Formats: sequence, structure tokens, C-alpha cells
Amino acid sequence: MSSSRTEAEASKFELAISYLLISGVITSLILVGIGIVLFHFHSGQFAISDAKAVFLREPNFFYFLLELLRGGRGQDKALWLITLGIAILMLTPYMRVILSVLHFIGQKDVKYTLITLFVFILLTISLTIH
Amino acid sequence: MLNMVSLLMISIPVGFLGSLTGLGGASILIPLLVLLGIPVKEAIACGMVTIIATSSGSASSYVREKIANVKMAMYLEMFTTVGAITGATITTFISPVYLYFFFVAFLSTSFFKSEKPNRDPVSSEESQDKASRWLSLHGSYFDEADQKVISYRVQNALLGGGGMMVAGLAAGMLGIGAGAFKVTVQEKILKLPAKVASTTSNFIIGMTALAGTSVYLYSGLLNLTLIGPMAVGTTIGALAGGRVLNKLSYQTLQILFFVIIIFLIGQMIYKGIISL
Repeated sequence: MSSSRTEAEASKFELAISYLLISGVITSLILVGIGIVLFHFHSGQFAISDAKAVFLREPNFFYFLLELLRGGRGQDKALWLITLGIAILMLTPYMRVILSVLHFIGQKDVKYTLITLFVFILLTISLTIH
Repeated sequence: MLNMVSLLMISIPVGFLGSLTGLGGASILIPLLVLLGIPVKEAIACGMVTIIATSSGSASSYVREKIANVKMAMYLEMFTTVGAITGATITTFISPVYLYFFFVAFLSTSFFKSEKPNRDPVSSEESQDKASRWLSLHGSYFDEADQKVISYRVQNALLGGGGMMVAGLAAGMLGIGAGAFKVTVQEKILKLPAKVASTTSNFIIGMTALAGTSVYLYSGLLNLTLIGPMAVGTTIGALAGGRVLNKLSYQTLQILFFVIIIFLIGQMIYKGIISL
């Protein structure tokens, strides 16, 4: 009885991960796609640029997200959309770790709570300090 | 002349071939970009971002079908993320010349990918080592081809973790998924059935790529006009590749694999030598 219940829950968890991954990727790629088309309308070309504006160079991922959502940094709309797409892409696996930590806490599975927490903390540190 | 449209057009077949051969889109695209004049570090950093998309896109269905083992993926990700962060940090510092040769060395390891898939996974609890048992690393999935449920128990969890750390290091350094290497570790050391190994590896690659990308974000190597078309193109190609994979014969895939890998190795050796 208890083992079949755990299996059903695991399956719900797996479905959640599956939808999270696919919706994150699709949203991201649509934004990037629209961004590329807009870039063409604005600049009249599709050239691979090496201008400073097209390079991401961020001191901190979370600061980068905040700035992006404020629409700041004076970029044009096209680059803003591509950047937003990339940010959502990066958030997809990050959200997946958070979801996993919460799942294993809910399951009272100490070992896997610690394992997923380790990955979460490591990623957060790497995204924050550099 | 390379522009965003031609890059998108190149990325679609590259993603398709990357998914068919198991090399992954980025392994093929990075040498091609280098050939077209993009600096190698920039190509590597952008490749890393692209992989988050291709991996997460295809892993989604493997998780839903319960072929990928999520618990084992979480355990192995501890090792791949440490490796990827270290690898990406090394790349931002070292001279690009080394990267060409590391790339060649790592691509050459794909030749060792298993000829014979694991047909008889271990299934008795007594034969499992302590660490693997403590981590409760086991599972089962329904095999469509064999029409039966396959149960398996993981072996050598600690040694497998070490192998995945190396895979993560190479992935972070070279901007690739290192899928073939991850699959080899999972089949040979962890003794997983072939399908579980390849799907779980796919799932892990997304997290490894995020760890690598987290380093590249500060390096000023992420070019939006490169990443955009690369990510969209390779993901479309990879999703299409996943659909035809079962319809192609093993021999066709092997020939395709060898032609591509020899071309890539030759191109990177050439680039490495002329930049010495």
C-alpha cells in the first residue's frame, strides 16, 4: 500500500518536472525567435555582431534578472527579448532543482534532500559570486 | 558570410545529426563556428547555453515516460556541477590553443562508446555495493522494443560519481554536453541499461550546462547574436532527430558517426596547429 502510494507521488513529481522543462524551453525559444526577427527589423540586417551591446557580461545572475525585468540597461527591444529568453532558459534547470528539493523535503527523504540541496547551494553560489 | 539566418539554417541539421549520433549539437557546432572564424572561447561559451535548451527539451519526454532515473540524476549532478564549474573557470583563463587539443582529445573518447548495450542489468539486492544500496539507486522502466518491464540496480555509485566529475569538467571546459562519455560511465561503471543511461545522461546535461553557463555569464563571452540562432536551430533539429532515430539502421548511424567525428577532429587539429 505505502509503496504504491510513493510510486504514484513520484510519478506526479516527474510529470511536474517534465512540464517545467518543456514549457521553460519553449517560452525561451519563442522569445529568442521573436527577438531575432525584431533585430532584423531594427537594424535591417541579420549580421553576427561583435558590438559590446550584444555580449552579456553580468556581475551577478540575480542582479541581471532584476535589471532585465525593470527593462533597464537602455538596450533595444530586440536584444532585450533575446536576453529575456536566455534568462528563462537558465532559470529552467534552476527551478528544476528547487522543485526537487521541495519534493524530497515533502517526502521526508533526508538523503536526497541533502543531495539536491547541495546542487542548489552550489549553483546559487556560482550564480551569485564571481 | 555567416549571419543569423545562415547560422540558424546550419544549426537545424547540426542539431539533427547531433541527436542521431549521440554527439550532441554543440560538439559539432563549435568546430564549425571555429571554421567560420568565430573565436574558440566565444563558440564554447555559446555552445554551453545552447545545450540547456536541447537537453531540457528532449529530457522532458524521457522523464514523463519514466525511462530517465530522476533520483540517480540528482545524485550524479552533485559531481557534474562541481566538474562543470571548475572546467568553465579553467577555460576563461587558459590560452585558446590548448582548447583545440583538449577538444580533439575529448572527441576521441567517443570512439570508446559501448558497442554492446547492457542486456542483463543486475537485479538482485545482495550483489549491489553498500553505497549504491544506501542511496537506494535502483529502478525499472517499460521497454517498448522488448515489450517488458526491465528492473535494474546501480553498481559502484562512488566510482561512477568520480567518472561523472570528469565528464562535467570536460563539458564545462569545452562547452559541450559530453553525452557519449556520460553514457559510457553509466553503462560500464554504474551498470545501467542502455536506454536508462542515455536518457538520464540527457537529463543531467541540462544542469551541468547551467553550472558552466553560470561561470560564462561573467566572462563577457556570451554573444546574443550567436546564442539566439544556435539555441533555436539546434533544439528544432534535435527534436526532429529524436523522432527519426528509431527508424534508421544501426549501420547508417555508425557510418554517420565516424564521418562526422573524423571531420571534427581533423578540423580542430588543423586549427590548433596553425594557431601554435
